[in-house]
This record gives sequence, C-alpha cells and structure tokens, in this order.
Amino acid sequence: MFRNQYDSDVTVWSPQGRLHQVEYAVEAMKQGSATVGIKSDTHAVIVALKRAQNELSSHQKKIYEIDVHAGVSIAGLLSDGRILARFLQTECSSWRWDYKQPVPIKKLAEAMQLKLQANTQYYGRRPFGVGILIAGYDKDGAHIIQTDPSAEVVSMHGTSIGARSQSARTYLERNVDKFEKCKTSCLISVFHLFILASPEELIVHALLALRDTLPAEENLSAQNTSIGIVGKDSPFSLLEDAQVSVHLNSVSTHPRTTAQAQGGGAEPMQM
Amino acid sequence: MSSIGTGYDLAASTFSPDGRIFQVEYAQKAVDNAGTMIAIRGKNGIVMVADKVISSKLYTDNANPRMFNVNDNVGVGVSGNYPDGFSLKNYAYGEAMKWLKDYREPMPVQNIANAVAEYIHIHTLGISRPFGAGAYFISWNKQTGGRLFLVEPSGLNYEYKAWAVGKHRQAAKAEIEKLKIDELDVQQLVKEAARIIMAVRDENKDKNVQIEMGWVGEHTDGKYEEVPSEVVTAAEEWATAKLDEDDMED
Repeated sequence: MFRNQYDSDVTVWSPQGRLHQVEYAVEAMKQGSATVGIKSDTHAVIVALKRAQNELSSHQKKIYEIDVHAGVSIAGLLSDGRILARFLQTECSSWRWDYKQPVPIKKLAEAMQLKLQANTQYYGRRPFGVGILIAGYDKDGAHIIQTDPSAEVVSMHGTSIGARSQSARTYLERNVDKFEKCKTSCLISVFHLFILASPEELIVHALLALRDTLPAEENLSAQNTSIGIVGKDSPFSLLEDAQVSVHLNSVSTHPRTTAQAQGGGAEPMQM
Repeated sequence: MSSIGTGYDLAASTFSPDGRIFQVEYAQKAVDNAGTMIAIRGKNGIVMVADKVISSKLYTDNANPRMFNVNDNVGVGVSGNYPDGFSLKNYAYGEAMKWLKDYREPMPVQNIANAVAEYIHIHTLGISRPFGAGAYFISWNKQTGGRLFLVEPSGLNYEYKAWAVGKHRQAAKAEIEKLKIDELDVQQLVKEAARIIMAVRDENKDKNVQIEMGWVGEHTDGKYEEVPSEVVTAAEEWATAKLDEDDMED
C-alpha cells in the first residue's frame, strides 16, 4: 500500500527528503495500546492501557520505574521498549555514580534522542518501533517527555501516544479550552487546570483521557490499567490492580465524553 | 531530475552516470523543506532567526530549541531534520570540549565549523545516510569581528555575511539583499530579521509558527546567547507594524 523503491532501508532518502523506513516505524508505535502522560507544577502522571495475549495470560507490563524520580510508559513494540527502559535505567544510575545526584530529566531526554537518532541513520539496525513517555520530577519541576521512533523528543504539558491516542490528546486540549473560556484573563498559562491540579485530580484527568482511546464496548479495569506517579517529595510509584481500582471509581462517575453506540452515559466500571 | 528511479539514487555510495550523488541532493531537500532560518552579520554582531512550527499546543514553551551554545563564544543553529540536527550539535559540543581539554582555550568558530563539515562529509561517502540537517555557526570578538559559517548536508562549509536556508530561502535572501547590513547594529538586526521571517511566510500554510532567535556581538561581550523573549516579542511587534505600513503604501 505504501510501497515505493525508497522505503527498503533507513539509510535511503526519498527524492522529497523523507525517510520512509522511519515513518513506518512510527506506524508501529501507533499500533500499540495507548498511554497518556500529564503534569502539574508538582507532579507528573503516566497511565497506560495493558493488553493480554489471551484470557489465560497476564497483561503486558507497560510502565517501568527508571529511578527514584522518574518512570516511563511504553506504546508500540514492548520488547523494544523494555530495551530502552533498561537503557534509561543505566543512564540514571551512571549519572548518580558520576555526580552523586539524580539525573536532570532534560539530560535523560537528550541521551534518549541521540540513541534513537543513531538508529535512523546507521545501516544494520532498524529504528526502535516504540514511543516512550518519560515522567519525572527534578529541580526544575515536573516533566513529561514524549519520544517516538523518528527520534523526535519533546517536552509536553500533557500528551498521549499509541492506538487512537488522538482521542486522548483531544480530551487534553479540549479541557484546556473549556478552562480558557471561563477564565480569559488568565495569563499565567493555558494549562492552569493541570498546573494547579492535585495529584489525585491529575490521575483522574489522565484516566479520562486514556478512556477516550477505548472503543465503546471496552472499559478501563484494574487489570488493564497501570498508573505511575512521581512528584515533589514523593518518589516514583507504580500503582497496579487494587490501587488502580480506587482511582477508577472516581473516573466511573464521569460520563463517557464521546457519543458511544450503546447510549453512552456513565457505564459501570468492569472491575 | 530525470534520473529519479533509474537506480542510481538509492545509496550515497553511488554516482549517477552524469556524476551526481542523488542521496546527498535528497538529504539537502530535508533542509530545503524545513522552516526558514536566516543569519545576518551586522556592524557589531550577528543574529540568527528560525521560524518554527508549533504542531501542538500541548508542547511546553520553547520545546525543541534549534539554537544552542557550542561553547561560551560560539552558537549553533540547526535546520532541517530535528534529530539529525541535534546529533550534529552534540558532535560540535563534543569537539569543542576536546579542544578545550587539549589546548586550554575555547575552540574558534572556524575550527568548529570545519570539524563538523568533515564529520558530515564522511556521511556522504556511503556507509550511512547523509545528515538531513545543516548548521549555522556564529561568533563575534574584537579581533576578528563577526563570523558566520554554514555547513550543508553535502559537507560544504562556506563563510557568509548573511544567508537563508529552508522553505522560503529565496524570498528571504532577496529581502536581506535590500538591507545595508554592514551599517546595522544588533538591535536593528533583530527587528529586520524578524520582519524578513514574517514577510516571507506563506499566510495560508504557515500557521502556529514561532520565532526563535540567538545572537552574539559586542553587546554580549562576545558570548553567544539566546535572545530574551521580551526582545523577540518587541521585534515581532515592530515587524508587524512595519509590514502593515508597507501594505498600506502598496
């Protein structure tokens, strides 16, 4: 469907100055189940949707702690993602060894970008088929970093990657707009809503955004949802199963935003 | 380009029958299609300006900067494919660091530009793909005055008084040529550069764009700096007024 003679290798430029192999790798990321990351002034939250191969298997791990002050979530080829998570863990620990300090998230993002870029230029290795969200807290505050296989690495207020992630990004953007309308005089930031949000509110926003990536017949559950949170005076913690249920309860009171096939409205959570 | 699709354009290690290396030309396209970026040398300093597309309002302020310090005195501005440009910046930074370690003095701008040009050139020989990015290197000091270099994806490295790369480079160069740049001081350069970038934009296509600027000159004591956002904003306001005024006259 996309085939042309310039798409067989990462080391080939198309006549238009594009890298087709790299663009295809980005498609791999878009097929993985979604993950959402948002931040406030003091906290960064990542939530992810896990898939299970079949009913008998466990759900695939999507969120990794990489240091006391940072964690990552993955969308795309999860085995590629695990390699990158390990890479970041090593970066974190070697920085600690060298400087006796936690690594600044910016430095982590730069190291990540250089590693990803190399795989888009040198023969013999394919690009990583995975996108990663890094959530971290350092001396400059909370951070959400988005990465993709084309080595675009960018700092965000909030974002989502993976399957149907556009719906989640729409949720995040739409909630900004709502807020802008009721407080047009607010000059501090259009992201006031998230900036002042408590950690619990932040998790709810992230879960609501994540829920928008699901088709109508599916819903978030304690089994298929992971939450990672890090912030001021609170080390990175990965919430799973029972700890997730608590937050899902507060989400279930919100009606589904997109008009769903079967009446929409507040569906009970599958726990 | 009639030779497209004849099989001579699939690797940087292949010459076409008429002696061209298409892969390098295609890499140059990545720069040609990216946002406009200009650099101008004036009376007492140099200003670099890039036009960036902000593709999402979820980005943080000044996410993905295109301009960096290589060392205290030299600034780099990368255009084209962003990750490639970032990798070039990283190489330049590493070279400057090595120089400092070996000679105990900052690496001069010409040496940095040459080192990066050599590195880029190696990538045009065919082991890997050429860089889809170009880089400006700027510096200023009392002895040499302002110096401005541009390294291209082919590995070419020229010194310029002023130059433009990216989408609207032709229009931008035409605008620059109308100015008497040798007589402009840095404050005027900033305004004129902002005006040029805004004037050459395609109103229908270039939406959600943002200007990024870097400068070095007498006023910064030869240190390369990112231009403060209030100066950029003031320059944009001046430019908008000036462009409106010009429209009225037409």
